[in-house]
Amino acid sequence: MTDLFSYLIRRLGWMLLTVWAVYTFSFILMRSVPGNPFSSERNVPPAIERQLRARFNLDAPPLQQYTDYLVGIVTRGDLGVSIKLEDYTVNEVLAEGFPVSASLAILALVFAITLGVTAGVVSAVYRGTAGDLALMGTAVLGIAIPNFVLASLAILLFVFWIPLFPAAGWGTLRQVILPALCLGAPVAAYIARLTRAGMLEVLGREHVRTAFAKGLPKRTVILKHVLPGALLPVVSYLGPATASVLTGSLVLEKIFALPGIGSHFIYAATQRDYTLAMGMVLTYTVLLFVMNSLVDISYAVIDPRVKLQ
Amino acid sequence: MSGVSPQPDGQTSPAHQATPDQAALEKILRESREIRGVSLWQDAWRRLRRNRSAMCSLIFLIVLMLAAIFTPLLPLQSPIDKDLNNRRFLAPNLQPVVLGGRAGLKFEDGRLTSQLAKYTSDAAEQRAEILAIADAGERDKQLAEFDARTRIEHPFQQLWNNLGPVAFTMCRIRVAIFGDWTIPSLFGTDKLGRDLLARVFWGSRVSLVVGIVATIVSLVIGVSYGAIAGYFGGLTDAIMMRIVDMLYSIPFIFVVIFLVTFLSEDSVKAILENYGIHQITIFYIIIGAIYWLTMARVVRGQVLSLRTEQFIEAARTIGASPMRIVFRHIVPNTLGVVIVYLTLTIPSVMLFEAFLSFLGLGVAPPDVSLGLLLNDGVEALSIIKLFWWVVVFPGAALAMTLFALNFLGDGLRDALDPKMKNRS
Amino acid sequence: MPPELRRIFVISALLVMGIAVLWATQFDSMPPADFSIQNGTDPKTLDPHRATGQPESRILFGIFSGLLQMLPDGEPDPVTGLQPMSPQPAVAESWEVSDDKKTYTFHLRPDAVWSDGVPITSADFMWSWTRMLHPATACEYNFQLFSVPYAQEFNSGLVEIGDRCEVELFDRPNPDGTTEADTGQASFQAFPRGTMLYGTLKEIRKPPEPTFDDEAGKQLDEKEREQAILNWQETWVYVLDILNQAEPGQIDWDGPTTTQSFTVNLDSPQAAPETQRMHAVLVAFDQLGGIEAPDPHTFVVQLKDPLPYFPSLTAYYPLFPVPRHCIEEHGMPMWTKAENIVSNGAYQVKLRRLRDRVRLEKNPNWFDADQTSIETIDCLSTEGQNTALNMYVTGQIDWVTDPPVALMETLKERDDFYSAPMLSVYFYRLNTTRKPLDDPRVRRALALAIDRQQIVDQVTKAGQVPAFTLVPPGIAGYESPSGFQPDIAKAKQLLVEAGYPGGRGLPKVSVLYNTSEAHRAIAEVIQQQLQNNLNVKVELQNMEWGTFLDKISQLDYDIARSAWIGDYADPNTFLDMWVTDGAQNSTGWSNPDYDRLLQEAAAESDPGKRMQLLADAEAIWIEEMPVIPLYFYVSVNMVKPRIEGFFPSPQDLHPLHLLRIKSPASPTP
Repeated sequence: MTDLFSYLIRRLGWMLLTVWAVYTFSFILMRSVPGNPFSSERNVPPAIERQLRARFNLDAPPLQQYTDYLVGIVTRGDLGVSIKLEDYTVNEVLAEGFPVSASLAILALVFAITLGVTAGVVSAVYRGTAGDLALMGTAVLGIAIPNFVLASLAILLFVFWIPLFPAAGWGTLRQVILPALCLGAPVAAYIARLTRAGMLEVLGREHVRTAFAKGLPKRTVILKHVLPGALLPVVSYLGPATASVLTGSLVLEKIFALPGIGSHFIYAATQRDYTLAMGMVLTYTVLLFVMNSLVDISYAVIDPRVKLQ
Repeated sequence: MSGVSPQPDGQTSPAHQATPDQAALEKILRESREIRGVSLWQDAWRRLRRNRSAMCSLIFLIVLMLAAIFTPLLPLQSPIDKDLNNRRFLAPNLQPVVLGGRAGLKFEDGRLTSQLAKYTSDAAEQRAEILAIADAGERDKQLAEFDARTRIEHPFQQLWNNLGPVAFTMCRIRVAIFGDWTIPSLFGTDKLGRDLLARVFWGSRVSLVVGIVATIVSLVIGVSYGAIAGYFGGLTDAIMMRIVDMLYSIPFIFVVIFLVTFLSEDSVKAILENYGIHQITIFYIIIGAIYWLTMARVVRGQVLSLRTEQFIEAARTIGASPMRIVFRHIVPNTLGVVIVYLTLTIPSVMLFEAFLSFLGLGVAPPDVSLGLLLNDGVEALSIIKLFWWVVVFPGAALAMTLFALNFLGDGLRDALDPKMKNRS
Repeated sequence: MPPELRRIFVISALLVMGIAVLWATQFDSMPPADFSIQNGTDPKTLDPHRATGQPESRILFGIFSGLLQMLPDGEPDPVTGLQPMSPQPAVAESWEVSDDKKTYTFHLRPDAVWSDGVPITSADFMWSWTRMLHPATACEYNFQLFSVPYAQEFNSGLVEIGDRCEVELFDRPNPDGTTEADTGQASFQAFPRGTMLYGTLKEIRKPPEPTFDDEAGKQLDEKEREQAILNWQETWVYVLDILNQAEPGQIDWDGPTTTQSFTVNLDSPQAAPETQRMHAVLVAFDQLGGIEAPDPHTFVVQLKDPLPYFPSLTAYYPLFPVPRHCIEEHGMPMWTKAENIVSNGAYQVKLRRLRDRVRLEKNPNWFDADQTSIETIDCLSTEGQNTALNMYVTGQIDWVTDPPVALMETLKERDDFYSAPMLSVYFYRLNTTRKPLDDPRVRRALALAIDRQQIVDQVTKAGQVPAFTLVPPGIAGYESPSGFQPDIAKAKQLLVEAGYPGGRGLPKVSVLYNTSEAHRAIAEVIQQQLQNNLNVKVELQNMEWGTFLDKISQLDYDIARSAWIGDYADPNTFLDMWVTDGAQNSTGWSNPDYDRLLQEAAAESDPGKRMQLLADAEAIWIEEMPVIPLYFYVSVNMVKPRIEGFFPSPQDLHPLHLLRIKSPASPTP
């Protein structure tokens, strides 16, 4: 228990360090990329541009901008005002979009894990059969077909030909199912393949053969002795999977007109909305860090040989 | 540990027994030597050959590679020539198409061969005229000008984009063999009246290069990094993995925009070209350098459980150096997962390339990649009118490539697994 | 870790997963609106002085009313179905123009109120227009009022000795009740403003001007020099004779004064101990008679030039009134929040959700509320073209503003498809400072070799009109010069004359366009046409929007795709951007005759002569071709047949209160 506790404390320290490093890196990067947030088709006179810059504290020397903004974040949790979405602070943008992205991501992940692990186990147990081939074929399709193609096909299929779901929008359960399925599909496919590979790996180990030799029922062996070990690569993949679900939702948010934060992410970058982009980057950093920590803890739980460090 | 042990069986060779045992011992030793002669890779190849689906995939991929390399040799239509007036959104058909037949090209007789013949004879005539000039300096100057002109005015420029010297020669051979004959638009045409079959081939060429180069880069970085972190553990692992975590949390769109704008600065471009490096090469490497992260994590996860295995302990006890243990004992044991992951990385890289092209950071038109084709295809996918072929064929090309990669990956996994050695 | 703990962990993980799923499937759903619009993207802001672009304007025209409004006038064009519009009374119930066409007097409705019931008076317009012009507001459309005396000087901060000025002290209130003077930190709530003093400028004490001749100075780039100059200007100390008593609105400029000095930067070497910190010295625009409010319901505007299109400008959102009481209470940008905003249009904002929608509902306090038929409207931020079309087909959207280009031919045949000419032009900007495009012959050659008919017929496909001039047809009283005709032989001839026979020796030229399928398709076709027709090889360069704009404004391009939508129905909106160093010029092109003709036209009061001067200017432009015009846009809309009162209009304006729902709306899923 103290293990876990001290692990968490250390992890927190690392997280702060990471966030700081990411902040610094992004700050430098954003300001060295050509273009600025006030580029527009009508050129702004320099004096007025200075007024605008002053509003966002962009007229200060870079080092002061760096510390001012950092102090604002640390002391007040204030990510500033969005430069491009003028009526909003970055915190408000996140507060509006995050629940949408999060619930989409949760549904997609749950769907992906359930389906992926099941498919992976089944196809490993019935290795070499037609069922295995079909499942793995479907899994590859899931990986091979880009998100946006899959979503477009799914709309044609499940909105028009078999009218099950509404075309787009957000606000009801029916509206969220189709995007969640499309978002989860590639992840499910990855998980299925990783599970299968892991299962085959473990099935060949001595202790599993011993377990079979002892005459334990197949189900017990697979669930108790094989699956925990086989899930290691899957668990390891969950961190990146979260990341890919969150960022990958960009395309689906567009196709299904969902009010999540994925689309802000690209816009902030291309429109040079420094504050919004920074807010997004830091949010993602914290989120992924937490997810990766959870993954590491799960690791230690599933595999007793791994110690938390 | 599994595998055939080279040591003779203890029970069969008590020292005091006489010659028959000696002979038996000799025999066993001989056998064991033979077995040791088969390396891991030869053994793997032997087993791979027995796996039918993997072999089919391998053959498919080889054919695909050859097709991609020799695309200019195939009797395809032009991938860039747009017949807006007559051929927009044609469904797949068998109508014969003459190369260079579009009226807007204004080719002699409406065929490439006639135009080429005319152009060659004109060029030869003019060249002869220039060569007749007495003044050597003037002659060389005019000759250089003439060569520059030939490059711009050559009819191939109208049908293919930016052919390198090799591709140019291949196009020549293609015209010499097939003349004006082309494969009909079996895949239909796109919204600007370009032949989709040709575009799928030329697009695969680009996508494959991106996928392979970038994946190799990611493989090298990711595996070494992950294995080292996982094996050494402790502080090294913590620091290395935190660095990976940090990199994970950086939105790569920024990195890519930054690097691409930096790389397209004229001064940087000039320096790179001095070393003979094309800007696009760096671009592939950037993608690869982005994709090593997951590989590193997966490998590290695997290594974390492997490092407590007995054979690693054994290697450590006999004093093998850490680097030797990592790359000689651990890395081969992670190959199963690595290869599975590899078959997943190539598609991601190909898709990432599509995403970048979509943002305007990848290949520039009129060059084409499968990702770009799919983007175009999805745009034309609607309930009002269904131009199915613009999405189905590029999609199928991508899917088949990845299917093949996948089955090959599976086959390799089974074949390379050290625990499966000499079994089956 | 002991096994029982492991079990607990697994169970709690599953539990968390379950709770997460439960949470994720909770929605607060909202009944659909009576009418839904595909608004393209999120409005950047709902502040009329900060907005640009169509998604904003669609909403702003619905929730605010100006002095006048554009309404249908006369019969639709029998061929195109285009409904002419003209400025008609809105908040002003009537208006008069003086004989010299320079003085406009607007009589406001006595019953006009804000959506919270506060009456709208001429003082609101005084305040709003001043705010719109104030440099700190940085309104992109501020030039629309530059024909009012002192407006431009006020906006650009130009003051001269002897000018009657206002000084804004450094004491703007903060939202928390303190002022800038207390904190020393600048507050960027531009309005409400700090203490205002009025007086006559006597002297400007300037420290020595920075020079860039020394080693350090030479290393600075243009941007840094600009900053150095701005820093220097902040150290200027202004000395004014400040009026002892000044009530805004009734200032006696000859009253008793005291001399005081002010500066932005108190560290200035010129600053005396009594020098006060201020924001800026500006010409006292609203006190000098350019705009006046003689009584609460009369608003008088003076113009420097007799602009025939001025009434249309007052019907455009930058000149709409904004609610002073609301802005002063909530500050900027908080006042535009759905729960704070007060407006004066047919609709008011009920709810605003990023990336989702702006929900409008009928404003019962609008002066013409009886006219409004539809109760609630959703402006959906749907970007994907196919997504919007899908939603249209399934009944989630009633008005599609951006149908997919790929389907245009099929859609064009439908009855619910509306397209009509629009005052806007799509063109390729040429960088006239770089070889080879510095040569007008090369520019003309490229322009002549492009087959525009093919582009509009086969690529854009919605009935766009090939452009051979700059100004779109359809502006009353204006006839563009004849332009040119595509002529490949002549183009080749011009290239020979310019020294590039057969495209030989022509430096590499690239076309820059911002990321979009439509722009890419057009660029690809032009690439092929130039290759086929002239043997000129152009490269395509795709940039995302931020970099794209940067490259253009820094003249770091050869050819760049661009477009211009007329701000008002007059050729001037298309022509005045190409004057020497014009803010939107960005081609490096400059022609003194052209500049002169535009100046003369502005001062001309006879409409016929004025149009002729403008046409002469356009003829010069066509001859010089700093830009290759490609086609004139059409507006493209799809509206459900259940909606009545929708008609195509020249500026793609569709007043929301004129729309009617034919039969009771069928419930949408």
